[in-house]
Formats: sequence, structure tokens, C-alpha cells
Amino acid sequence: MHEDQPATRFRELVVPHLQDALIFARGLTGNRDDAEDVVQEACLRAYAAAGRGTVLHPRAWLLAIVRNTAFTWMAKNRPKAVLVLGDDAELDRLAETADAAFTDTPILTPEAELIRKAEAAAVQRAVDALPAPLREVLVLREFNDLSYRQIADLLSVPIGTVMSRLSRARLLLAISIAEAHRD
Amino acid sequence: MTEARLPPEADLVLLNALVDGELDAPTAAAIERRIADEPEMGKAHEAIVVTRAALARLEREEVGTRLLDRIESGAGISVPASPQRQPRGLADWRAMAASVVVAFVMAGGGGYWLGATRPSETTSDLVASTHRRSLLAASPVDIASSDRHTVKPWLDNRIGISPPAPDLAAKGFSLVGGRVDVIGGRAVPTLVYRHNEHLITVVAEPAAAGTSGPQSKQADGYNMVRWTGSGFSYWAVSDLERAELDGFAEGYRIATGVTAAPEP
Repeated sequence: MHEDQPATRFRELVVPHLQDALIFARGLTGNRDDAEDVVQEACLRAYAAAGRGTVLHPRAWLLAIVRNTAFTWMAKNRPKAVLVLGDDAELDRLAETADAAFTDTPILTPEAELIRKAEAAAVQRAVDALPAPLREVLVLREFNDLSYRQIADLLSVPIGTVMSRLSRARLLLAISIAEAHRD
Repeated sequence: MTEARLPPEADLVLLNALVDGELDAPTAAAIERRIADEPEMGKAHEAIVVTRAALARLEREEVGTRLLDRIESGAGISVPASPQRQPRGLADWRAMAASVVVAFVMAGGGGYWLGATRPSETTSDLVASTHRRSLLAASPVDIASSDRHTVKPWLDNRIGISPPAPDLAAKGFSLVGGRVDVIGGRAVPTLVYRHNEHLITVVAEPAAAGTSGPQSKQADGYNMVRWTGSGFSYWAVSDLERAELDGFAEGYRIATGVTAAPEP
């Protein structure tokens, strides 16, 4: 049995999923430049880890590294940005706030016609404006094409949490896109 | 324009799960009936669908050379250029062929493609490139199955030819699946095997009867074995070490009843 070269392992495990890593990092950080910094640092971590043990699911493994990297990178470089990735209490408070909003206020379903006319830039702004926990799930589903189960595993949350966050994320998006185009 | 109140959150979650294809058939059928019968459910469903469509119109982030350069210099390694993934939803092999051509041109291999004068060498390079490309794609196979009785019919349905896909698991080579590659303008069936963490691409082009090889060579930094037999010309390419790849080729040739002929 020969020993794998880290560079070979890196090319097999990491390189095929670089675009997924960048898409996810862009979703977490909210802009391209920060996303590239995060991906670069995540690659260094992945490179160091690639020689150790067996990686069964390279994409999920890399996305988890990107997520952890984004958390520490943002804490260090963007301390004022709200990026709640690991704070469960914060997530619960957010969820409660959202629940209250949904039950207390009679909300009308956004008009599909307004969303159809929306320009890409306005849609992107609406995505970037989502609360981080909702944006994260939305990006993983819509841009990384992960299943509910894969998202739940990556975030270590119950699948029901994934479902409710995704539902809220899309609703908030629909509302803000439609509002932007009503004017 | 009619206004509709938003359904309760539990229903919204089900509508989202429906559009994501995450519901079992009976539940999906029940929700589809409600979408048809209840205006509020219908409007909410439409809003979700158009929101997804708006997101699909956004450009995906692409990994540019600047980022690749940074990663290379940071880790002190060389990353293959153009790790561009196929656009989503292009499963058709003609679309794959287009992306292969683009990949070759971008990788600077267009000269081989356009002005080939040494066919055998060119084919080896193209096979090596298709192997490299498969390592960069989201998935190295289009039909993922360790069951040759699944892979062969899939290839037959796609392009009407399928090579033998022997079970070599006992020798440590497990079948990962198959795909259709385009080599020199021809659609050819391709099998993918795995040995530990390494993938082996087996390109099989229909050939006249007779046997030749095995012939060991290198192309584009990969080890390669070429042989002819059982009605196909084979190229097996991998970053496996030479001895292991030769062992794979030998196992494949024995399993498909090809008598090894000495090299000319």
C-alpha cells in the first residue's frame, strides 16, 4: 500500500468542489472578496487535513471546512457583521421573532408577477439582506444543490429546522423582491 | 389581481418541500390536490416557484485564475486550471460534448483537437484529458452504480454500445458507474472504477475483431494502458501507480476473455 501524496489528495478531494466552496463562502460572507479570502484559507486547512484519514464525502467535508473557516475569519476580520453560525441561543431568538411575525400579522402572498419582473441585481440584494441563518440554508439548497438531509448534516440541525428556515428564507425573499418592484 | 392570504407556516413548509422534490409520492399528491383546489395554496405555490426561478437567473460564482493562483501559492502546490463545472441540468451527451470542446480549448489543447496528425497519440491525450475533466466535474459518472446490469443498459440506451463491465471487486477495483465521453468527435462509452481513493477511467471504442496490447504509456501526467479485444479498443487511465494500473488492466482482460498478445 503506497502513501497518498497530500497534493494528489488535494486535487482529488478539494479541487473538484472549489466552485461549491466559493458559492457557499459567497453566501456566508455576502461578498466576493471576502469569499475568496475564506476559500483560500479553507483550502489551506483542507490541504493540511487531506493527508489524514479517509474522506467519504469530499464535498460535504470541504463545505464544513469552509463554514468553520468563514466563522473564524469573519469574527477576526468583520467583527461587526452579524454572522451567527454557531450560536444556538441567537438562532432560537431569531426563530421566535420570525414566528411572532408570521402569526401576528396577516400577510398577503407576494404577487408572482412582481417577482417575475425582478432584475437580477435586485434579487441578489434581497438574498444578501437575508438573516445569516436563513441565507445559509437558502444558498446551500438553491446554489449548492444540497438535499434537506445533506444540509441538516452539514449544519448539525434537525431536518425540520432546515425546512422551516428554507421556507422563511424564500418567503422573505419573495416579499422583499415584490416590494422592491411595487414602486 | 386577486389577493390571497398566506397559508399557515406548516403548509408553506410542505409547499417548499414539494418544489424541492423532498416529499414522498402520497404526500406530494395530497399537496398537489390542495394547490389545485385552494386559491391560497395555489398562490403561495406560484410565489415559491417564481422566487426559485428568480434565483436561478443569478450568475453562479466562478473560480477564476486569480483565486487559483492564490490557492496554489498559499499551499505551495499546483492546481489544474479551469475547474469549471458543467452548467447544471446539462445531462445530454451532446451538451457534454460541447463542454468538452470548451475545456480543451481553454486548456490549450485545441491544437491537438484541430490539427491532429498522429492519431494514436492524440487519442491518448484526449483520453487523458477526459479523465482529468471527470476529476474536476461535480461527479465523475453520469450513471452511478456498482451494478454492471445497471450501467450497461444505461450506456446501451444512450449510444447503443456498451463494453463488458466485469466485476473486479474481488481484485480491489469496484465499479463506480459509467458516462459517455466524446473522443475525437465520436461518442464513446466510458466506465469508471475505483481503487482506494483513485479513479480509473476506462474508455472503450468499438473496434474490429482481434487483440493487441497491452501497451503501457503515459499521457498528460497520467499512467495509461491500451489494449484491444472483445470488440473494443480500450484505454485505461488513472493516477494509480503503474503496477496497480497494469494489474487492473490484466484483471479486466482476463475477466473479458481477452488473450494477451505480446507487444510487437
